[in-house]
Amino acid sequence: MKRPKFFYLIAGFFILAIFLAGCAGQKGNEQGKSAGHPNVLKANWQDVLSQAKGQTVNIYLYGGSESTNNYIDNWVAPRLKKQFGVQLNRVPVNDTKDIINKLVSEKQAGKKDGSIDVMWINGENFLMSKKNNLLWDSFSPKLPNVKKYVNQNSPAIKNDFGEPTQGVEAPWSQAQFVFTYDSNKVKHPPKSAEALKQWVKQHPGKFTYPAPPDFTGSAFIRNMLYETTGGYKQYLKPLDKQTGLDNIVKALWNYLNAIEPYLWRKGETYPESASKLDQLYASGAVWLTMGYDPAHAANEVKDGRFPKSTRTFVLKDGTLSNTSYLSIPFNSPHKAAAMVAINFMLSPKAQIAKSDPENWGALMAIDPNKLSSKGQKQLNAIDRGKATLPSKVLANHRVPEIPAGYVDYLEKGWMEHVAKH
Amino acid sequence: MWPNIKPYIYVLPTAGVLLILFVGGLIEGLIQSLGYFPAAGQYGFSLDYYRQLLSSSDFWDSLILTFRIALLSSLSAGVLGMFVSVCLFMLKRPGSGRKNQIWQRFFQLPLIVPHLVWAYLMVLLFTQSGWLSRILASLGWIHHINDFPVLVNDSFGGDIIFTYAWKEAPFIALMIYPVLLRIHGSWFEASRVFGANRWSFFREILLPLLMPTWISSSFIVFAFTFSAFEVPFLLGVTYPRMLPVLSYNLYTSGGLEARPEALAVNVILAVIVSILGVAAYRLSQRWSMDEQGGW
Repeated sequence: MKRPKFFYLIAGFFILAIFLAGCAGQKGNEQGKSAGHPNVLKANWQDVLSQAKGQTVNIYLYGGSESTNNYIDNWVAPRLKKQFGVQLNRVPVNDTKDIINKLVSEKQAGKKDGSIDVMWINGENFLMSKKNNLLWDSFSPKLPNVKKYVNQNSPAIKNDFGEPTQGVEAPWSQAQFVFTYDSNKVKHPPKSAEALKQWVKQHPGKFTYPAPPDFTGSAFIRNMLYETTGGYKQYLKPLDKQTGLDNIVKALWNYLNAIEPYLWRKGETYPESASKLDQLYASGAVWLTMGYDPAHAANEVKDGRFPKSTRTFVLKDGTLSNTSYLSIPFNSPHKAAAMVAINFMLSPKAQIAKSDPENWGALMAIDPNKLSSKGQKQLNAIDRGKATLPSKVLANHRVPEIPAGYVDYLEKGWMEHVAKH
Repeated sequence: MWPNIKPYIYVLPTAGVLLILFVGGLIEGLIQSLGYFPAAGQYGFSLDYYRQLLSSSDFWDSLILTFRIALLSSLSAGVLGMFVSVCLFMLKRPGSGRKNQIWQRFFQLPLIVPHLVWAYLMVLLFTQSGWLSRILASLGWIHHINDFPVLVNDSFGGDIIFTYAWKEAPFIALMIYPVLLRIHGSWFEASRVFGANRWSFFREILLPLLMPTWISSSFIVFAFTFSAFEVPFLLGVTYPRMLPVLSYNLYTSGGLEARPEALAVNVILAVIVSILGVAAYRLSQRWSMDEQGGW
C-alpha cells in the first residue's frame, strides 16, 4: 500500500499547531486581572443596584452540607430575587479546590467572561487564588453592610489563615472545630490530646479521623499539633521564617503513630472523607466523630442520621476556629450583581437566619454587638439544639488557625510519617 | 492527485476533533508536566518533576499496586467473560433461541451499572457497618458488626478487583460472543467424530479462534483499570494509592507547584498504557497469523 504521506503531513501540522497554540495562547494574559468593570467599584451603591437588576449570579460553594444548600436555595435565593431582581444560581462542588482549578483553567485559556461570580473560600484556597491573581479587586469595604455591621479591625476577620484579606473577600461565616460523641456510650469525653490517647487505648477501634488532605482530617491534625507541641503561638509567623520545624512537629507524628494501632481498622486505612467518618459514627462503628461546624451534629440529629443522645465538645485548651469568606473572581461577568448578592448575605436578617439551625445554624460573621436591640433579641431567642454548645462555651475555647502555608506542609508530612508508617 | 486526497478530506472532521481534543489534551499535559505553567508564573522547561517522581517511593509503591490490581482485574474479568460466553455458546441449541437471548441479556446486565454506582454499592453493602454486616449482626450470626470480615478498603485491593471483574466480564463476553456466533454448530458434531470431548473442542478449536479478540479486549480492560480513578478512590486504602488517585491527590492538594508532578504521573500512565497497547496488538496479530490462517 502507498504511504499516505499527505495524511501524516496534515496530522503533523495539527499537532504542531496545537503545541504552538498551547504555548502562545497562555502568554497573552499574564497579568491575569481583567481590566473590565472598574466602574462598578467607583459607582455609588444605587447605580450598582440598578446595574445588578436582572442579572444571574453563579455562586460556587462546597455542596456537601444539606443545611448550607437548604439555606442558599430556600432562604437566600427567593429573597434576593424578590428584593433586588437578582437570580442566584447555586453550583455545588465536592471540594473548594475544584473552584480554584476551574479558575486556573479559565485564566490559562484567557477566558474573559468566566462562569463563576461568587465563591465561598478561605485558608489555603484563598492564599492560592490571591497568589495567582484569581480574585477581583478590593470590593468588600465598598459594601454598605460590611461598613455597618462587620468589625473590620478584628484580626480574625482582617486575616484569613494569617493572610491579609485586603478587601478582596468579604467575611460571611465563622466556624469552629468540634468533636461529636454519643453521650449514651461515652460518659467522659476526652478533652485533651492526652485524654484522647487514654480513651482510644481503652476503646480500641472506636476512633479514627479522615485522612488528610480531607479538610476535616487536616484540621484535626492541626489541632493536635497545637495540643502536642505547646500551643498555637509559635506558629503565628510564616512558614519560611520558621526554623527547626521538622523537629518540633515530630511530637505530633509520634502522637498520631502512638494512637494508630488503636484506631478503627487498626489505622491500616482511614476514612477518605468527613462524611464517611460521619457514616461510621451513625452506624455505631466508631463512637466519636468531628467537624468544622458546631451546628453540624445538631442538624444530623434533627434529620435523624445521628442518635438523639449525640452531643459535642471542645478541647480544654481550645479548638480551631476560622472565618470563611465570599469572593468575586477576576473574570466574573456579573460583578455588580455579585456585590449585591454578597451585601445581601451580610445583612443582619440574612446572618441571623443563617445562625438559626432551622435554616443552617452557622456562626455569624457580622459583629453581634453592632446589631440593633431587636436583632440581638432575635439572635438570643434561637434554639440551637441540644447537641450544639452554647456560644459562650465555644467562644471561650477558641484558638486561631495556623497560617495557610503550614497546612500543605502538615498534610504532606502526615502522608510521609503517619500513613506510610 | 485529487482523487487520492479525497478520502483524507472525508476523515478530516473526525480526525480534527480527535486531534484537537485528545492529542491536544495530551500535549497540554505533557507541556505542563515539563514545568511550563504560565497561570502559576512558571515558564521554564525541565525534567525535574519526572526526576522527583521517579525517586520517590510513593510513586513506585503506587505503580506496583496499580500493576497488580489492573493485571488481576483484567485477568479475572477475562476468564470470567470467556467462561460466560462459551457457556452461552454451548447452551445454544436449535429451538432455544429465546431462552438463550434472555440469558445473554442477563449476563449483560452489569454493563448498564456505572462504575461509580457499583463502587458505592460495595461500600453500602459490604463494609463492616454495611447492610450485610448489620443483617448478620441482628440475626445473631456475628457478635458485633466489627466481627464482619474486612471486604471493603482492604489493602490487597480485593474489592477493587471484584468490582472490575464483575463490571468488565460482560464487556469481554460481549466482544467475543460475535466471534463465537460465526462458528457452526456442526463443527462440534464434526469434532465429536474425531473423538474430541467438550474440553478438547474448547481447547483445540474455540480458544485459538477467540484468542486475538480475547487478548485485545482484555487489554482494553487492563488499560481502563490501569488509569481509572473513581473505583480506587472510593475503595482503596489511604496508602499506597493507585496511580490515578496519587495524581488526583497531587493535583488537588497544596499549591499550584505540585501540578506538574500530577501531570507527570498522567503522562507516565499514558506512556505505559501505549507501550502495552502496542505489545498487545503485536501479540494478537501474531496469534491470528499463526493459528488462524485465513479465517
